[in-house]
Amino acid sequence: MSERPREDPVFLAADALDGLAGDLIAAGTEVVGPARADEPASPAAAAAAAAAAAAGLDKDVLEYRAVSRAADLALGPGMPRLSLKGLYLPQNEALFAWRQRGSDIEIEPAPTGARTRVVLGAKPCDAAALAIVDDVMNWDYADALWNGRREATTVFVLACGVEDDSCFCAAVGLAPDGSRGADGLLTPVEGGWLVEATSEKGAALVAAHAARFGAASAERREQAAAFRRTASERVATHLEIDADSVRDWIATHFDDPLLAALGVRCNGCGACASVCPTCHCFDIVEESDGLGHGTRRRCWDTCQSHKFTLHASGHNPRADQNARFRQRLNHKFAIYPLRFGEVLCTGCGRCARACHAGQDLVEILGAIDVAARRPDTVDVQSPETPARTVGAAAPASER
Amino acid sequence: MKSADDSFEPRITAFVCNWCTYTGADLAGTSRLHMASNVRIIRLPCTGRIDPMFIVKAFERGADGVIVSGCHPADCHYTSGNYHARRRFALFRELAAFLGIDPERMTFSWVSASEGAKWRDVVDDTVARVRALGPFVAYQQLIDLPALTGESYASVAGLLPGGDG
Amino acid sequence: MNELRQLARELLVDEKVDVVIGWEDGRRGARPAFVTAADDAERLIFDTRCVHNLATYLSPRRSHLAELGKVGLVVKGCDAKAVAGLLREAQLPRDRVVLIGVRCGGVLEVPDLPQPAELTSETVAPRCFRCDVREPHLADHLVGEERPDPPRPPMTIDERVAAVDALPVEQRWEFWVGQFSKCVRCYACRQVCPLCVCDRCIADKSLPQWVESASHPRGNLAWNLVRALHLAGRCVNCGECERFCPVGIPLSLVNRKLQQVVKQRFGYVVSDDPEAATPVGDYRLDDAQEFIR
Repeated sequence: MSERPREDPVFLAADALDGLAGDLIAAGTEVVGPARADEPASPAAAAAAAAAAAAGLDKDVLEYRAVSRAADLALGPGMPRLSLKGLYLPQNEALFAWRQRGSDIEIEPAPTGARTRVVLGAKPCDAAALAIVDDVMNWDYADALWNGRREATTVFVLACGVEDDSCFCAAVGLAPDGSRGADGLLTPVEGGWLVEATSEKGAALVAAHAARFGAASAERREQAAAFRRTASERVATHLEIDADSVRDWIATHFDDPLLAALGVRCNGCGACASVCPTCHCFDIVEESDGLGHGTRRRCWDTCQSHKFTLHASGHNPRADQNARFRQRLNHKFAIYPLRFGEVLCTGCGRCARACHAGQDLVEILGAIDVAARRPDTVDVQSPETPARTVGAAAPASER
Repeated sequence: MKSADDSFEPRITAFVCNWCTYTGADLAGTSRLHMASNVRIIRLPCTGRIDPMFIVKAFERGADGVIVSGCHPADCHYTSGNYHARRRFALFRELAAFLGIDPERMTFSWVSASEGAKWRDVVDDTVARVRALGPFVAYQQLIDLPALTGESYASVAGLLPGGDG
Repeated sequence: MNELRQLARELLVDEKVDVVIGWEDGRRGARPAFVTAADDAERLIFDTRCVHNLATYLSPRRSHLAELGKVGLVVKGCDAKAVAGLLREAQLPRDRVVLIGVRCGGVLEVPDLPQPAELTSETVAPRCFRCDVREPHLADHLVGEERPDPPRPPMTIDERVAAVDALPVEQRWEFWVGQFSKCVRCYACRQVCPLCVCDRCIADKSLPQWVESASHPRGNLAWNLVRALHLAGRCVNCGECERFCPVGIPLSLVNRKLQQVVKQRFGYVVSDDPEAATPVGDYRLDDAQEFIR
């Protein structure tokens, strides 16, 4: 289900997008969106890019990045490799620098003022993640860096046509045309996009650049509705679960063989966490730059690393990969919902695509849903094949 | 480090073995040989003890060039340490060069305890070569590259000593 | 494939192994399979999508797999080289694993397909070209029919390395710094590598902190450099590190470069013979030293 837009739709023509982006950039606003690789800025960079191309690298990869002109935006099918998370929680950032003079310590905090930014064409799953992570970022401690960037950024999502069958946003209560976490929605129509502001910030942006927008004809409104309807119908077929049943089952079946043995293929590489829009765990390190001075930094971390819960004593409560993978499911689908009332997942499917060891969240969630809602159809598990529980009456295969 | 007329003076870190090169460097000193004063010597028991990470750390911490020096083959105080070092540094040098770290910033040498003059030559040649290459600012500035967000760390890095902040 | 399934079934029924680790069909393509019941041997497949180096599951750090018991491991030649590496370095007792070698004609570069596909010069993994172990020597059993040579890709891995080598040093710097700036220090490269078995990786050591753990480019350069160096003479060129990297860093180029250096300087090529000595920790009195003054 998608949120009801607050404002009447307007139309942004494809050739008006240039003007809009130009206006924003001229006003000192950073414009970010899905884009292909940047044009090399120097001869050395050009040679490096040529070497990369010769080596067959980074073909057609999309990333969210700042663009200097609208033509660089790739507003169409395709999912940026990493999510929007990096704009709000950078993969590594300095928190403060310190210097020790005798017995005095000087602390110089990193600047917290965030640059004004507009994101054009975000995936709805990536924007929804921002709203979901807002909960924990304002729970027992208000994260000023995250909040500052959220306030300074206006996000317009691009209604999604559904990437592939690893997408499952509908299964976690979201939609390919959802505007959760966003300030406006762009829907592709003939000649451009239907634009609907879904927050005051979004409405303010449209109003401030009213000259770039035109009236939305009835025909275009119908095109937009049809696009969104088709996408919603398509993604609903990929996975259907009852998130509450899944939550309750995980919360009460910690030692169940189905849950306890899901990490058998997992390498503990953390690729899933790095591409995930809702994973937000971080590590804090002190880096000394010399005698008596240094910098404290925060960087992305992953619960799939064996060091994540390693105690200084050497004891590790999550001692093997089964325990660590179980934790991933537990946190996203049980602990976070119990604490904040929503699933820590937006169904973008990046984890399933990024995992080259075959850990498939679509399959795993489906298996847990079956266990939760139709336990009588489940056989006693072979720990390595949760997917085979669906309907099968295979003999017990304990080891 | 600046010379009297404010031109660039490279900072060189030298990792040398105790038994040969360190003693050879000492001989250069007691022989009152004139040589460039840009080198900071770190003494180790043997070149076999030198981990390539020492070189990486030296560049990270501001060295513009590095010297690694020890006993000639067959003269190692521990018999075979320098043979292991020879293989290890052959690999490291080629890997570093492939990754774009100019091998001209590194000197590897065998300097025996009696080769004070050779040590002087190694030092002077390295300093001249690295001076011509300029400061290895690119390495230290790696930490300042803009992140995914486009925000630069320079705003905080400038707070570090030697920065603008 | 029936030969493979039959063999797996027999090994399980006769209790020669407790688990057969091979490949099976998943929703997004082939994926590692862990078969403990003889009837489940039907799941095992082998086709051009079976890229994964299953030797990584023998790593001593995977305690939850050690609990499964004695392993029957399905290996391509490149995977067998990794097993040989583990045996050579005493990371694995030989009697803990039964090796089921499969004859291989190459694998896909991008194996995420729901159905197997023929190899073409565009789709084949470049590292397969001129493979010297299409029939693994280190194997207790050998299954599968002979397959034709893998096609030549538009650029072989050596040509890809040469393209980078041909750049002047400043442009190589810019190329690699650009690549390593993407690194998020997930350590996927290390986690999936069958030869990265250290109980305490140098990157995890904080006294002293040899490798800066923050994911800025300076720390990332140190990490990727030290990993490549610690794999010199040991890497089997299975390409898993590059395949798993979530941000697309061309790690196979770095490891391949060091393989070339090891071959050229020390005359050593990694093989699936566990008795062959490793160049790491070895030396010759007449090793080349032209770079030493």
